[in-house]
Amino acid sequence: MRRRLPQIVCGLFGILLLALYFSSHPIARSINLLVLVEYYQIIFAFTLLLGVVSFVRVNLKAIERREDRPYRVVALLGLVAMPVLAVIWGIKGDSPFMWVFDNVQVPMQSTVFALLAFFVASASYRGFRARSVAAAVLLVSALLALLSRSDLGGLIAGYVSPLAEWLRDYPSMSARRAILIGIGLGSLTTSIRVILGIERTWLGGKK
Amino acid sequence: MIKPSGRHLCFLGLAVVVVVTMLVDYRPELTPSDDTRGMFAYIDSLPPGSLLLVSFDHEASSLPEIRPLALAFLRHAFARNHRLIGIALLAEGTGIGYGLMNQVAKEYGIEYGRDYVYLGFKPQYVAAILSMGESIRQTFPEDYTGRVWESLPMLDGIRNYGDLAGVISITDGSMVMHWVEYGNGRYGVKVAAFVAAAMMTTYDPYLGSGQMRAMVGGLRGAAEYELLIGRGGSGARSMLAQTSMHLYVLLLIIIGNVVYFRNRRAGGGT
Repeated sequence: MRRRLPQIVCGLFGILLLALYFSSHPIARSINLLVLVEYYQIIFAFTLLLGVVSFVRVNLKAIERREDRPYRVVALLGLVAMPVLAVIWGIKGDSPFMWVFDNVQVPMQSTVFALLAFFVASASYRGFRARSVAAAVLLVSALLALLSRSDLGGLIAGYVSPLAEWLRDYPSMSARRAILIGIGLGSLTTSIRVILGIERTWLGGKK
Repeated sequence: MIKPSGRHLCFLGLAVVVVVTMLVDYRPELTPSDDTRGMFAYIDSLPPGSLLLVSFDHEASSLPEIRPLALAFLRHAFARNHRLIGIALLAEGTGIGYGLMNQVAKEYGIEYGRDYVYLGFKPQYVAAILSMGESIRQTFPEDYTGRVWESLPMLDGIRNYGDLAGVISITDGSMVMHWVEYGNGRYGVKVAAFVAAAMMTTYDPYLGSGQMRAMVGGLRGAAEYELLIGRGGSGARSMLAQTSMHLYVLLLIIIGNVVYFRNRRAGGGT
């Protein structure tokens, strides 16, 4: 019964939500709206709470073990400071919360993201080699894509852009479509298996 | 002292290229791509006063690429007198979107509540997209500043996607996919997007199938859009740095391959 009850609840709600999604009946639509606006938000609040508790526990334990102590203290201070700023002064316009967001979080995140450029530069020198025909094709495609996003006057418009566009419109798009169709069919199959109780790994433990 | 290696020299070269080129005030003469022309024509073809929902679906990390795209779009939309409803489906886009809309509104003398509103952030993006298809008001009962719907004349009579001319997602990730699959697929709302360059090929199938109305991507897209609206911005300003960096990477790839083939011929492998 410990496993059967969650399976039945999962199956029933799976079928109900599926029916609500496709139904245009006013009652179905109003239940759908209630689920989307209220229930999902309640679930989100609990997942957020779970995340915060887990984050605090993991970091406190690591501080006890003296692992990366300064970084973890800063992380915990950040976790406490932002909600405190938001609660006291709000999150609008010129609030301290937005000041910290604009002057600390945005530059730090942009900096970390920008570091990728350095890794790309290093990897392009050390790893991007035409070792085989397939690697050479990939290399040439990457170069065309790079040049098509650059500004080299008439050279781009005349020669590079049409080639890069052709790569985007045919080989790249057909591969993307194949992946998307695969993902769609995979999601559909998994959903049906979960609803029907064939797939039970989400319950944890043994089969 | 650390002895500089090839990798360090690569890093140093890149830093020099980016810093020097950002100091040069060069405006490129670009030829707008079909994608950019398509988006411009779409926004331009909407009757003045059309109601668009603009969703800031991005994080702070991609701001240098997303900001010029967002500003170019907002300038075009406000210049055409379109009315905009701003939202954010990722928390970090919330404050950024509000700031950008206010900045451009000030440039054009646009009034908050009459010509544009900002409803703020809603968590659970799939649920938010679906629930707006039923009722935008119940999804966002008040605006970002805490004002109720009745105090915002622009929102009078707006129920759901049926009252909008379209949705514009400004994104650095996979949010457009959700807008297309749930907003367009379930409720038929027209979706167009301004995206980070790395995401363009991800959305090509949707653009090709017509599920997405138009797409502009990356700094080059921003620079092209700025050209079309006749107003320069940081997109065009950053093109020299981006081009130089691309050429630098291209040069590194060529040097790396020359060294590789020379070593292989000499029997030394890599």
